Amino acid sequence: MPVVTKDIVPLLVQTGASARVAEDIPARFVPGDTVLAKNVNPANHTRLPRYVRGKVGTIMMDHGVFVTPDTAAHGLGEHPQHVYCVRFTAAELWGGDASSKDTVNIDLWDDYLQPA
Amino acid sequence: MNGIHDLGGMHGHGPINPPPTEPVFSHEWERRIFALFIGAFGGGHYNVDEFRHAIERMDPAEYLLGSYYEHWLHSIETLLLEKGVVTRDELDQKIAALKGGH
Amino acid sequence: MSHDHDHTDPPEDIELRVKALESVLADKGLIDTSALDELIDLYETKIGPRNGAKVVAKAWTDPDYRQRLLSDGTAAIKELGFSGVQGEDMVVVENTPDVHNMIVCTLCSCYPWPTLGLPPAWFKSAPYRSRVVIDPRGVLKEFGISLSAEKEVRVWDSSAELRYLVLPERPAGTDGWQEDQLVELVTRDSMIGVGFPKSAPDNHQQAGA
Repeated sequence: MPVVTKDIVPLLVQTGASARVAEDIPARFVPGDTVLAKNVNPANHTRLPRYVRGKVGTIMMDHGVFVTPDTAAHGLGEHPQHVYCVRFTAAELWGGDASSKDTVNIDLWDDYLQPA
Repeated sequence: MNGIHDLGGMHGHGPINPPPTEPVFSHEWERRIFALFIGAFGGGHYNVDEFRHAIERMDPAEYLLGSYYEHWLHSIETLLLEKGVVTRDELDQKIAALKGGH
Repeated sequence: MSHDHDHTDPPEDIELRVKALESVLADKGLIDTSALDELIDLYETKIGPRNGAKVVAKAWTDPDYRQRLLSDGTAAIKELGFSGVQGEDMVVVENTPDVHNMIVCTLCSCYPWPTLGLPPAWFKSAPYRSRVVIDPRGVLKEFGISLSAEKEVRVWDSSAELRYLVLPERPAGTDGWQEDQLVELVTRDSMIGVGFPKSAPDNHQQAGA
């Protein structure tokens, strides 16, 4: 395994390690689509927080293709897929008392979503 | 996993109380564990998803009581032990040696 | 998998555990302690919110740059030399008279290191992470900010691999200011969305202008 030495630190820090994957994978959703964040409760690693599960939102951006944390955290490969920014209204997430103006925007992997 | 890390929307965690200023690191050990994280990551010993998941697997009470960099220490120890990069004995012997050196 | 390790270690034991871990890894030749020293120096003295302030001030003075920043944040930020770890893929969101943006990572503490440096402790804390998504206006009040009910609060939970930076509104009374003067007005909190840039008159006096 490579050892991080002092001389490569500046380059390492400036380059980082993007989770973006250069694979041409078709997007299932486009901005404007209405989607449902799946109501799932995996015991493994996931970046689908409980507070959006089962909620309906709108695709705002398609960020492109990224490594999937749910598999990468368990040695199960990169499983590249699209990540989208999904907008949920505060009322959808928290009910009628929430501000009618406010929104929560969260980046979600394709697998976390289904058409609504 | 439905872990303690998944905090969004919870009540009862108290006020934020942001101080006007604070140092980048509060203790020397925070500097070392921060740098160790990048050093061991750059050395290919774990990926960031494994790193986050090892934090999520912490005991919930320990997670809430522990500071950010304590989470990092826990995660790096956990992963390096699980992957056999270091052993419990090696760490314990080193701790004993460091204590003896005081 | 858990270890029968003492979970109630007092702080002095944390220090020992960190020393032991670094020492064992160094003994095995798996880390270079001088590289760790270099990393600490970079993040403690060179990489901080001053970087983000330069991005914001340039966007305030250069409309073309602002456009590039909002359409491809990563590339536009890299133009100023800021890139890399925890800023590999950036999105910049713009405050307007109608919209106020706030950044959080509810699942851990993701934060744009190249532009803002390492996150403050409160950003990583349970109180902030739990509340921003459900009570953003209450959180803002704790930071001394009260927003009109007419304004939309847009919270960005950056829990995937995109990192977010808020482009705050340029303070009034700064017409004709140069980029390097404007940099002094941009606060870290204004780029997280829990504060505003400093106002112009105060800064003018400070700068003796």
